[in-house]
Amino acid sequence: MTHLTIAMAKGRTADKALTFFEKAGIRFSDFHDKSRKLVIYDDENKVKLIFVKAVDVPTYVEKGAADIGIVGKDTIMEDPVDVYELLDLGIGKCQLAVAGFPDKQFPSSTLLTVASKYPGVTKAYFDSKGIRIETIKLNGSIELAPLIGMSDVIVDIVESGKTLKENGLVVLEEIADVSARLIVNKASYATRTNQIQQFISDLKAVLE
Amino acid sequence: MVLNEVYPERMLSDNEKFERIIKTINKRFTTYGYKRIKTSAFEQYDLYSKVKSSINQNEMIKVIDHTGQVLVLRPDVTIPITRELAQNFPDLSSELRYFYVQEVFRQPIDRNDSIERTQAGIEYFCESSAEADAEVIALGCHLMKDLGFNDIKIELGHAGFFNELVRGLPLTPLQIDQLKSLIQAKNVVEIGPFLKSLEIKDEVREVIERIPFLYGNPADVIERTKGIALTEKIQDTLDYLMDIFSILKLYGLEQYIVMDLGLINHMGYYSGVIFQGYVEKFGKPVLMGGRYDGLGAEFGTALPAIGFACEIESLVKATESREVTSRLPIDIKITYADSRLEQAISIANELRERNYSVLSFSERKEHADLRQSVYSICLEKESNSFLYKGKNVQFSNLKELLELLVGGLEPK
Repeated sequence: MTHLTIAMAKGRTADKALTFFEKAGIRFSDFHDKSRKLVIYDDENKVKLIFVKAVDVPTYVEKGAADIGIVGKDTIMEDPVDVYELLDLGIGKCQLAVAGFPDKQFPSSTLLTVASKYPGVTKAYFDSKGIRIETIKLNGSIELAPLIGMSDVIVDIVESGKTLKENGLVVLEEIADVSARLIVNKASYATRTNQIQQFISDLKAVLE
Repeated sequence: MVLNEVYPERMLSDNEKFERIIKTINKRFTTYGYKRIKTSAFEQYDLYSKVKSSINQNEMIKVIDHTGQVLVLRPDVTIPITRELAQNFPDLSSELRYFYVQEVFRQPIDRNDSIERTQAGIEYFCESSAEADAEVIALGCHLMKDLGFNDIKIELGHAGFFNELVRGLPLTPLQIDQLKSLIQAKNVVEIGPFLKSLEIKDEVREVIERIPFLYGNPADVIERTKGIALTEKIQDTLDYLMDIFSILKLYGLEQYIVMDLGLINHMGYYSGVIFQGYVEKFGKPVLMGGRYDGLGAEFGTALPAIGFACEIESLVKATESREVTSRLPIDIKITYADSRLEQAISIANELRERNYSVLSFSERKEHADLRQSVYSICLEKESNSFLYKGKNVQFSNLKELLELLVGGLEPK
């Protein structure tokens, strides 16, 4: 049987996922924090782990370069791909939300400006509410945008709300709950059903 | 240097694969009694805007003719064939089997993708029956085997399953679309909360929540549906799928079939069984199809039919790692001394008449084409020689040459 290829990004999510794998009996002795290896195999040589950038995980899985991917729901929402989304790993729980100054009224005559790292999610959310907006794509320090008057509100990940609070912002609307999901390539699921279902049920047993 | 050699090789090998795949497809479709037809490259825009939920209007490539009429470059083949038949043969007394291999044009979402794709497919106009439907699926399987794939999986579902479940539910079209994408993604995590936000009876909700798990070995899947409340109509569709599966067993194709009750095709005209095929190491379906009994009604007649199509470009990619053919592309290469030009031409002509592929070069240009050939012929000033697998034999006339070609160099 060939390897099951799993794509994920290095970092907190990967560390947590690896402890789940270990509990499920899949060990990566080769792996340690300082390792720069981008490809590692488990001790039984059944699973191959590849480390890619988080935003690329859905692409790797959709194209079949990886059978399985572990990635945040925010990334999947921003770049929707044609894959199966079979499991919530419950890692990195947070929220995608609209945030801004409390009690501020927006005149309906002008276009609402929204700064976000997630222009796709932002557009889809406001479209569904029938509100026309101008989106400003930023790559970090999103909270700064309303402070300096570049945007009216922001759409961002909110974990504890601490950053928002320190900058005088509050959550105005919640868009979606976010956590790490397990996604699966559709062709892999069809051609290697048993192997993948087994992997998922092992993992599920650990989560419960 | 690298570019000069490698790039044309790769392009050539892709083209060769392309041709070989089409040849295989032609042959296989013909053995099941299908006849090849063609449809026009330009179609009326209205034809496609008329058939609801088929091809997204933004995907169509539009053209305007000199009278100002809007045409589209053929985005699909099934619809024009059905229209053609519906208009010319209002009552079809006999079954019809057609196949096509032609380009379809759609604006891709990803700009790097090509607008033009080559589709090969069949349309079988016949009453719905498990035998007919199973035969079409068996043909799809057979074709994938012909193309050298081993790890084939055909997912089998039914368009009536989802449609029947949501029929009568108080859902807006947007909510139905959301539900469809959740089911297509087998999104177990979010389907429950989504359904809870809607006003749906508990027993229906429970069935919809179970859909993502209704995947796998057909017998197991049916077993898993036992505990849930199903309407009579849904039970009938499940029985029908099992009928198809038992016939596929007779074809010996059991191991290639998985049942997927969460299968939903984006082409809205499917009404009965739907299926799609995957092969190893290729992330997308290589084959898609289903039964569309209602499409003829859009053009005023009842025209039950089933069909499937595959995209040749995808098949070429899916065979990427495979050897195309062990056969060398050129049969015979002739090199001649300039004074022997006449004989070279006459030998080349004679051999081409006999269906050998032949290249001929003057000695001076011997290296103009680097492709290898199975046999080589040298016409020198005084003598003629025939080379095959490193052996060299002299010959004096065409008759001797032909004997050498037929018998190789085996001693008589």
